[in-house]
Amino acid sequence: MNHLILLVVLPLLSAFIIPVVAKHSLTISRLIGPVVLVFILALVVLSWNSVGSNGFAIFLGGFLPPVGIVFYIDHFSLMLSGLIAGMLLIVWPWNSYVAPRQYSLYMLLTAASFGLVLSADLFNLYVFYELLAVATYGLIARQKNPAAAVAALRYLFVSATGSAMLLLGIAIIYTLTGTLNIAHLATMTDQLHGLAGLSAFALIVIGAGVKAEMFLLNTWVPEVYSTIETPLAALLAGLISKLATVLIIRVLLMLFQQSEVLQMLLVVGVFGVISGEMVAWRAKDMLRMLSFSSIAQLGMIFIAFSIAGEVGLWIGLAMMLHHLLVKGGLFLLADKMQGSFDNLRGYAKRSAMAVAIFIIFILSLLGIPPFPGFWIKLMLILNLAEQNNTLYHYAIGFILLATVIEAAYLFKLVRYLFQDEEAATIVSTPKSLTFWYAQIFALVLLVSLAFISPISNRLKDMASQVANPDIYINTILPSHLSGGNP
Amino acid sequence: MLINISIEGLLYFGAISLSLIGLFGLLVSNNVFRMLLALVMFEAGANLILVLSGFRENGIAPIFLADYSGAIMNDPVPQALVLTAIVIGVGIQALALALILRVKKHYKSLDMRVIRSKLEHEIATQANVEPPGSHHAPKQIVRAGEHQ
Amino acid sequence: MTKFASLLFIAGLAFFLMVVTGLLPLGNSPMLIGNAILDSAKEQVGAANVVTSVVLAYRGLDTLGELSILFAAASAVGLLLTKSSFNKPSKNPTNTEESDSGFVAINGIDLIFPLLLVVGMYIISHGHLTPGGGFQGGVVLAIAFAMRSIVRPRGKSIDHGVVTFIEAFAGLSFIVIGLVALYTQGHFLQPMLDQGHFGSLWSAGTIPLLYLAVGLKVGAELAGLILALNTDEVNI
Repeated sequence: MNHLILLVVLPLLSAFIIPVVAKHSLTISRLIGPVVLVFILALVVLSWNSVGSNGFAIFLGGFLPPVGIVFYIDHFSLMLSGLIAGMLLIVWPWNSYVAPRQYSLYMLLTAASFGLVLSADLFNLYVFYELLAVATYGLIARQKNPAAAVAALRYLFVSATGSAMLLLGIAIIYTLTGTLNIAHLATMTDQLHGLAGLSAFALIVIGAGVKAEMFLLNTWVPEVYSTIETPLAALLAGLISKLATVLIIRVLLMLFQQSEVLQMLLVVGVFGVISGEMVAWRAKDMLRMLSFSSIAQLGMIFIAFSIAGEVGLWIGLAMMLHHLLVKGGLFLLADKMQGSFDNLRGYAKRSAMAVAIFIIFILSLLGIPPFPGFWIKLMLILNLAEQNNTLYHYAIGFILLATVIEAAYLFKLVRYLFQDEEAATIVSTPKSLTFWYAQIFALVLLVSLAFISPISNRLKDMASQVANPDIYINTILPSHLSGGNP
Repeated sequence: MLINISIEGLLYFGAISLSLIGLFGLLVSNNVFRMLLALVMFEAGANLILVLSGFRENGIAPIFLADYSGAIMNDPVPQALVLTAIVIGVGIQALALALILRVKKHYKSLDMRVIRSKLEHEIATQANVEPPGSHHAPKQIVRAGEHQ
Repeated sequence: MTKFASLLFIAGLAFFLMVVTGLLPLGNSPMLIGNAILDSAKEQVGAANVVTSVVLAYRGLDTLGELSILFAAASAVGLLLTKSSFNKPSKNPTNTEESDSGFVAINGIDLIFPLLLVVGMYIISHGHLTPGGGFQGGVVLAIAFAMRSIVRPRGKSIDHGVVTFIEAFAGLSFIVIGLVALYTQGHFLQPMLDQGHFGSLWSAGTIPLLYLAVGLKVGAELAGLILALNTDEVNI
């Protein structure tokens, strides 16, 4: 099982050699990335059954924890790895004008994503988080649109400040406890639950919150998503934001499982939902509307995770997957349907298929039965109502309010799409690869409708596995419970 | 007891001050190059705090020399971590510098307010909607703490 | 007003951080993994410099990640500042002699250049024995080339193809050493080979080889960065 380290190493290896290979053969350099991704996808699928319910730990360099770096692999992280490889294959740029080094950046992004999902070491997570960030800056800045360089620079300032805060948080935790291994830290939570530990956690949340589009840290979102190509936006909004969320959740579950912390997360989530929907309501063009609605959806995910225990975790996971599918699909669809709402007038006549898919996506996003989005929102509201705290009950009101606002602007857009008169400027009809992918996303969404109960059972299993720090500690530090001092 | 200031307390004070000066610079400056310099200071402060966590009183460098006689050694882990963090910082700074060159080329300005309003304007034009306000009046658009 | 608000915010944060650091065990932190490493590094890795053991053995993956970040930054800068991304033709003056920096600077740098290379290689190859190593030595190597390109802004101090090749080769060899360890010893980047006589130049198994790869990689990336930033200056 130690060969699962290839998930991180192979993309790095291919990133290093792509520029040299490109000097000899452009075609081969173009193919290296997809081949590696397919290989990794196969590796993930083949190892699915050999990972038991307790997960599996890889001790890098053969050093027993806590001294070395540890990778922790369970079904949850394997599922995320599969999604990463699949999503990267979908947004892989096949265009002829892509420079070889851009492929390198995509492969570095892949390696960083796998590292973020698998690593169980705080500083190692920081390193992969930074790799992810630098690869993203490069990919954003390289877009044909010159405004993208400005968006990238502004994003860099916000994100690099956040990363320095993340580092500061890690420094405080290390000074306090003298270790970096998350499982090892989880065995000494009482030391972390003081003022110093909590401020370290706040710094970590601020650092990772930049990429998770958290409230107040998301000024970069609309600028970046409206200046880059839509497949890349689908990758960033659909997947990368979720990885940052996973980082926050892992640290939260293992180290800071306290009701005050969860309530803080809830408040941040509610603010994200309300502010995102309000601004999306005022947006006048497709990409801007999608970016702000993505902020709101991430806020909703934070609300779900703020419910203590397994329940919140599995609802949050379901929301993450649903948002990945829907928002990824919408951004892929927007490859052709972009521009102001005026430009999209009468679009239904030009491509009925695109509009049909669009409507499926937004109905699920709003939570109209029988789409998956409905069941998830229902579970969220029911479980919020069960909480013994009025703060959670207020959150229900805000979620319903946000849904009303969301419905208002989405149906306004639908009315534009079905208008009789056509727009003066013609928006091209969808015939590209991205449109096919959007159709596949919609199909997956519809098919998942038939399997709602098996999928939710699977997610519940995964959540109970992830939410239990004992499994995590036992797998990574086997000597801890048997009494020996590691 | 009032004058009981230890050396590591002073070092921490310096490191925290350095990072906060950097953060302050990031909040108040409008010139993108100055913002980059402020970011460098902030990162340097964070790195100093990290490496200070390995400090021991009377500790020596963690190297086993031939005449090593069992003295206390400083923690080697933060030193290795900070080596990594510094190199990461260098990469990000170089990239930011290249982006600043590109931005200067495109917008002929280094003022963040001007750049931002021109960017908003450009995005609006590309999406074919009305631009938000005039881009000749940058002062109305700026808010405090937008780079936090 | 903005400045005043920011100043208040920073002052509050400063007070808060001072309180937090007051709670930290300054000067005698627990050092749980630090002590474990100090105890076992001599036998497990065999490098006299414990920091090197941490960088390349205990936390080798961090180092690989960090090399990748440098590579990502250099790639992004290269993509941003290559001539093809600028539509204007370069206003490069045809007379290359005029822009040079004069007799003393050029010959001085030419004299120091080989010495800097030797110093850089020395620092890299003694990384497991003394303070220093791949990063520090790599920076010295890159500075040697940077100085040459500063005194001859129009001249070609180093070929871009060579830089590309060195960075790929160094990154490749780091990973291949790790993979060989994975398939012969069972773990990625596990220390291999005979540890040799402790404290001598030929000791610590694969550590010097890894540090050589790191040094070459860092040198090539930094040289590439400086080269890219330097060529673009002509265009703006």
